[in-house]
Amino acid sequence: MARERQNPLFYMLLVMLVIMAVGPILLMLATSLKLNVDIMSDRSSLIFMPTLRNYEAALCNLLWYEPKSVDFCDPTFGRALVNSLIICLISTVLTLVIGCMAAYALVRFRFMGRDAVSLSTLLMRMIPPAVLLVPVFGIWTFQYGIAGTRYGIILIYVAMNLPFVIWILQSFIVQVPIQLEEAARMDGAGPFQVFFLVVLPLIKPGLAAAAIFTFRIGWNEFLLANALSDRATRTVPVTIVNSLTEYNIDWGVIMATGMLLAIPPILFTFFASRQIITGMTAGAVKG
Amino acid sequence: MPEIRIENLRKAYGEHAVIEGLNLEMADGEFTVLVGPSGCGKSTTLRMIAGLESCSGGAILIDGRDVTHLEPKERGLAMVFQDYALYPHMNVAKNMSFALRLARYPAAEIDKRVREVARTLDLTPYLDRKPGELSGGQRQRVAMGRALVRDAGTFLFDEPLSNLDAKLRGHMRAELALMSRRIRKNMIYVTHDQVEAMTLGDRIVVMRHGKIMQAGSPEELYRRPANRFVAGFIGSPTMNFLKADLVAEGDRVVAVGQGFRFPFAAERSAALRSFVGRAVDVGIRPSGFIASEAPDALQLPVILSEYLGAQSIIISELGGARIAIEVNAPQPLTVGGTRGFEVAADGIHLFDSKTENAL
Repeated sequence: MARERQNPLFYMLLVMLVIMAVGPILLMLATSLKLNVDIMSDRSSLIFMPTLRNYEAALCNLLWYEPKSVDFCDPTFGRALVNSLIICLISTVLTLVIGCMAAYALVRFRFMGRDAVSLSTLLMRMIPPAVLLVPVFGIWTFQYGIAGTRYGIILIYVAMNLPFVIWILQSFIVQVPIQLEEAARMDGAGPFQVFFLVVLPLIKPGLAAAAIFTFRIGWNEFLLANALSDRATRTVPVTIVNSLTEYNIDWGVIMATGMLLAIPPILFTFFASRQIITGMTAGAVKG
Repeated sequence: MPEIRIENLRKAYGEHAVIEGLNLEMADGEFTVLVGPSGCGKSTTLRMIAGLESCSGGAILIDGRDVTHLEPKERGLAMVFQDYALYPHMNVAKNMSFALRLARYPAAEIDKRVREVARTLDLTPYLDRKPGELSGGQRQRVAMGRALVRDAGTFLFDEPLSNLDAKLRGHMRAELALMSRRIRKNMIYVTHDQVEAMTLGDRIVVMRHGKIMQAGSPEELYRRPANRFVAGFIGSPTMNFLKADLVAEGDRVVAVGQGFRFPFAAERSAALRSFVGRAVDVGIRPSGFIASEAPDALQLPVILSEYLGAQSIIISELGGARIAIEVNAPQPLTVGGTRGFEVAADGIHLFDSKTENAL
């Protein structure tokens, strides 16, 4: 006997889990490739003529050609995709830049209230976004006047993700041996050179993990974006929900947008995760 | 080349003083070794000279310039760290040239210097490797190379060999001695290993509890230790200490202990006369015992014999204390029985039992 036989129930459980995980995505993919006629027909079937019309409709204002299938180009989805990309990329970059510096300061510098700050960054994370919704909306609208702008959404995303990013990066920075920084100082590096030339390259895995995390939170976020955006600055999740109206639900286009929505985080995660390699500090100091 | 002067240097963590009033001068081109047991403040002193640790008081002067409160990079020192501290994301060449690149040297100059130093340290084949792909000895050489490339006036070493295995350490010690003779720069070297201190240093500074116990040449420290601590710390195997009293017998002074009496010659007796009546520690190095067949020789039991090849170390007992005796004997010695020994008069060191200072 080479291997112990597994319980058939175990396999059934596996299959069910796979269906639960992959099923909705397949359904979304199939629907996005169907015409409305096929979607609405009583006999839902797997046999249909696949078409890219829904994708053309969703991206009509971003395509380099004018799709023949689209009579009237609704720019909403294309615009939302651009909004989502801009907002998420900028907020991710800002969060990382501020986060890594804050984490470094919290780990390496001794100042009054350091532990309190360190702890409260995490406590902030415990507050659900729904609680923030009303006050943030009020402040953004009446005090800052940035409701309905991309800046407003970027600002709240940065504020929301910063605590967790600081917390993740702290644990990475702690692992950078202090002797490396001392060696760099002896070699003539100033504080910023120590940070950018020695510490930052060594916490790249941490930055990548934090970047994936931040980007995906922003990408999927609905609640705050819904409250803080207007017609021109809506992100994709908000747009999809708003396109479910009582008069018309274009499932094909919504599903196509859903598929498009899934691509950037996948690409982003793919590229960022290549930075996550272990043993960055191997050979730095005697273990 | 700079001369380094330390004046009344203090370091305290809160109430707890680690270094109290340290005064030290290091001459031009001198290899100074700070040695002492762990926690004696030697590394802290070095780090204060480097500028990595702040000073609680006193001053550090390099070439007459007060650098006490300057950043490390403004002091023009190079340092080799105990656990190498190589930049793991840079290859060997980048590691060695880091300081030069920061100082914006021209690329050709950097390349020339790195190659030169790599050649002297046998690192040329490894220039493209990352520290993680090197062995301990190679990493240590890279760490030294990084300091050498800079052409700094003074080199600081913080126990650079303590992470290497015994064989490699011996080899690197010799390399270091050769290198220091060749480049003739100021070197300040911290170690807890007295063998390293003795073999490398032009001058040894023995520290304990943040104070200097004695500073001097290796020979001075070995032959004329200023106190019991230095006597016990320098030399291997360590000095034997026996409790005794100084007694006057006629015009001679005699150290009398349990089972032994060491009379001193007229000249030394005269010098010791004022100490008669005091309790003293008699210090005798293991090599100070001379095998003797004379009838009045000390008869010492051979409890254990450690055969080292050319010599053997006999563990014996005298005056109620365990002592070690170094014997030149090509064959292993039999355990049990007794052997006769004499002690040469100049092999006897006396220390006041209370103050521990040499008499």
